Amino acid sequence: MIAIIPDILLLLFPFLMLAFKLFLTQAQTAHKNFAFAYLFILLICQNFVLIGDTQVYFSNWQIDTFGIFMREIFTLSALLALLLSENYFKHSMSEKPKLFHFSEFAASIGFATFGGVVVVSANDLLTLFLGLELATIPMYALVAWNKRDSEGTEAAIKYILMGSVATAFELFGFSYLYGFAGHLTFPEIAQALQTNQASPLIWISVLFIISGIGFKMTLFPFHLWAPDVYEGAPTPVTAILSVTSKSIAIAFLTVLVFGPLNAIHQEIVPFLALLAGITLLAGNLGALSQSKLRRFMAFSSISQAGYILIALLGNSPEGKYAIIYYLFLYTFSNYLAFFIFSTISKDQSETFISLNGLSEKSKFLAIALLIALMSLAGIPPLAGFFGKLQIFTAAAENKHYFLILFAVLNNVLALYYYIQVLKSAWIDKPAKEIALSVSTKQKTIILILTLSVLLLGFLPFLSNNLSIALL
Amino acid sequence: MNNLISHSYLILLFPLLSFVINGLFLCFKHRKAAAILSTSLSGLGAIFAIFLVVQFFISGAKPLTAWEFEFLSFSGNLIATIGCLLDSLSAMMVLTVSLIAFVVHIYSIGYMQDDLSSGRFFALLSLFVFSMLGLVIATNIFQTFIFWELVGVSSYLLIGFWYNKPSAVAASKQAFILTRFADSFFLLGIILLSYIAKSFVFSDINSLRLENFAGQMISLGIIEIPTNDALVLSTLLIFIGGWGKSAMFPLHIWLPNAMEGPTPVSSIIHSATMVVAGVYLVARLFPLFAISGNVLEIVMIVGTITMLFAAIIACTQKDIKRILAYSTLSQLGYMMLALGSARLTDGSVHTLGYTAATFHIFTHAFFKCMLFLIAGALIHQVHTNDLEAMGGLRKKMPWTYAASLIACLAIAGIPPFSGFYSKDEILITAYQAGHPIIFACALFTSFLTAFYMFRLFFLAFHGKMRSAPKHPVHESLLMTLPILLLVIPTIFAGFSFKNIFHHFFTPENITAISHNIPDVSFIPPLAICCAVLGIIFSYILYASPKANLAKALDSDNRNTFYKTIYNKFYFDEIYYTFVRQFILGGLASFARFLEEKIIGSLVNFFSTIIHKAGSLVRSAHCGYIPFYIGVMILGVLFWYFASNLPLQGA
Repeated sequence: MIAIIPDILLLLFPFLMLAFKLFLTQAQTAHKNFAFAYLFILLICQNFVLIGDTQVYFSNWQIDTFGIFMREIFTLSALLALLLSENYFKHSMSEKPKLFHFSEFAASIGFATFGGVVVVSANDLLTLFLGLELATIPMYALVAWNKRDSEGTEAAIKYILMGSVATAFELFGFSYLYGFAGHLTFPEIAQALQTNQASPLIWISVLFIISGIGFKMTLFPFHLWAPDVYEGAPTPVTAILSVTSKSIAIAFLTVLVFGPLNAIHQEIVPFLALLAGITLLAGNLGALSQSKLRRFMAFSSISQAGYILIALLGNSPEGKYAIIYYLFLYTFSNYLAFFIFSTISKDQSETFISLNGLSEKSKFLAIALLIALMSLAGIPPLAGFFGKLQIFTAAAENKHYFLILFAVLNNVLALYYYIQVLKSAWIDKPAKEIALSVSTKQKTIILILTLSVLLLGFLPFLSNNLSIALL
Repeated sequence: MNNLISHSYLILLFPLLSFVINGLFLCFKHRKAAAILSTSLSGLGAIFAIFLVVQFFISGAKPLTAWEFEFLSFSGNLIATIGCLLDSLSAMMVLTVSLIAFVVHIYSIGYMQDDLSSGRFFALLSLFVFSMLGLVIATNIFQTFIFWELVGVSSYLLIGFWYNKPSAVAASKQAFILTRFADSFFLLGIILLSYIAKSFVFSDINSLRLENFAGQMISLGIIEIPTNDALVLSTLLIFIGGWGKSAMFPLHIWLPNAMEGPTPVSSIIHSATMVVAGVYLVARLFPLFAISGNVLEIVMIVGTITMLFAAIIACTQKDIKRILAYSTLSQLGYMMLALGSARLTDGSVHTLGYTAATFHIFTHAFFKCMLFLIAGALIHQVHTNDLEAMGGLRKKMPWTYAASLIACLAIAGIPPFSGFYSKDEILITAYQAGHPIIFACALFTSFLTAFYMFRLFFLAFHGKMRSAPKHPVHESLLMTLPILLLVIPTIFAGFSFKNIFHHFFTPENITAISHNIPDVSFIPPLAICCAVLGIIFSYILYASPKANLAKALDSDNRNTFYKTIYNKFYFDEIYYTFVRQFILGGLASFARFLEEKIIGSLVNFFSTIIHKAGSLVRSAHCGYIPFYIGVMILGVLFWYFASNLPLQGA
């Protein structure tokens, strides 16, 4: 029974935040601290419910080990996003106006996070769809959180319009799947796929489902929105889009591919392989000469999505293991980069030029940035290298050597643009001196994230309970 | 007392600690602290080494492996380990290196006190001591190679210590490249040897027997050769490593040029420790060399040529450190000669050469280190290396004067100083082994040695001051004390250790053959006569009241023969011409052509394509919503055809 308690706690979180807003209007700081503490404790609770086998609650709420790890990633991402957003509620950043209504902001993130939990707990198509929508709709609001920010509003309109099209694809795909199997629940769909001759219905369904989720996961060519929206949204929202939203999408795909669609895994794989290859190439090419950091991170996260997708080419336990490992380190590395970008952008715009001279202003930040980006680029001995290694290992088991070779070659491109960011931070001289102030709290968070990225790579035993639980 | 041996890891730990702490924390801002830390740790190391070695010899000097751990496992039975082998040879080297390191550390505090980067100096010095000690206690040839290279690196860093001086940078590069050139043969030798012996461990390698491989063939990739020949080849390759490190002719040119480094460095590296690594290697693998055909003869011939050649050059040089460098070369030649002449003309091997060579390593280390320290003290006071600008320093530096007299007598081979005993052994070895020509050369070199050392001595200390020093000349305690400390072993290391060496220093696995040993009682007096003759010659030329110093020091109006010697037989020029014409002009320019024209344009081609593709991708992100949604719908269509899903079967 105990495994469901964290989920209930998470569901309570947005309501509690809203209730505070209604009844305790004065204590603004207390709201923030409560939210941080609540999510942190929740994260610890989730850590204690590592279960071996699948447990089912309320007939279709199923919790398995993969789900637990994904919950941890979602919660971690929500916590880090709230921590990152703190400064944006205190004062305006140079590019972005000040944000208001922290409680609602936190509640929206809480709802989105719960949507992710629904996705990994779903046992039928309807729940799965509801979870995905629950995770998406708050995001639309979050992107346009400040109504006075015209860029944010524009981004939100793009996001919601294209998101609706994607949802339509999704539903269309689901309807064909239902038409084929005659059932909504996963076990029955799996059964139907195993017994019946695969009909064209199922392939149309797969095509549309993957196209729909391709929007959220920023797969080619459904990724066009990402740079515009990432650039327009407030930085914490960009971070949560690139981590939570993407993780939910990959979880959705994992649940389907290794769940009900497992019987036709071999037929889907070539499609996934092509998607992964083209996506990471498109992301890498787009990132080559950017000047704005958030836009750059958008392209970088597009190519990361391509890498994660490669793990789906593997078989069930290894593929899931690689995905979780990669998402953990992706969360750490990405948030680390966003924390640094938000630190420097208090008085300057978030561009490459603002990074100039960082190594002289703050060695600490410059080294943290180095570690974050080298980890994203996959340089040993940082976590990113081992993450990519896991992914490639998973794919190699099914002999996708050509794709792995292609991905590794693409890494050279990735290294090129990550190093360009580092060049701005370490080598280029600033045109004018702008003082940099880093609060102790930010420093502590950056330090913790840096150590996580370092240690996840250096100390393999940290990920051992992961492999024991999954493999 | 067994504790000491089980704690023998301390030998390496002290210098390593000093290197790490100095290198990471102290070397930039706390150079005084760095000096004190390094010196005290090296002092502790020296004391520990003394106790360890004494205990080792008291307990019978049985070879033992004090500790060992696995480092790299190549295959099930070919495992590289890092360990500590204690036998009489390594114990002697540990003692010598530790003592000399300590003395040089004290001396460096005085010598480097005005240098702002002395913190770095002490860190590097500790690294060098660490590497050298790791080299001498190696249990296997792989460990030897690791530390061998570390020694090379630290020597490179120390020669180029004053890196804003172009000549120092050039010298460090030259030393590194030349020794690396030789080391590549060494590595080849190790590979071949471990391929044949299936082991890196010295005790396995030294117990190889040619008979065991009779009739076997071994494939070297392209050709098949008899295993016996391969073994001899590998021994020769390994010797080439020692050839470079010990700066034997014609790979010797780096050593005199390495004198660009600070004098304490020359003292510890280029006289007492690193350059004997080559000799040490031959001694360590002596049983292997002994079975390997004519390799020992090659060793002997190389040693003899170097000995004679360097001594002749030393007679004409004016740079005080270069004279000492050439004398080092000459002494190393002696050691190689002694090792090489162990093979008798009838093919049997005797062990006196081994004893003589190790004995000479031991005695030479102290007096040569001392001579360099004296040279450093002179340079520190007079601010020049040039003998022409010295002279008459006897009264200003009385302690140094006395010490250098002792050191010069020692190297010249006058009893009762240590050099006499070990050199005597070498001469006897050469004679007994039945090589009369080699013996004559050694004797003649003994005369030359006495001549050029006393030439240096008289020119530096006697006569009148030939140039007025800028600062008042005096002796500083920190620099004089180490010199005086070294007087003790210079006097006593000879007669008191002679029996120890005879007793403990015979290589394993070699049965000494003693048959019709010729009478050698005439050799010691003859050697003394030669040395005295040399001293008298140099007195007449450079110190007697009638000596015409201006003529003796003139190097311009000389005959061609003298000039050739003065210019070191033009070896530097030959090397430079070769490097410039053949390597830079030929190979390097070809490689550059490949790099620039072919590889470079390929790289440019690809990067242009990728950047073009990048801008194409970026142009799709136009921010126009109808376009975006259109692309989504077209995207589904695109994947309908491109996705490889079995859709068309519908």
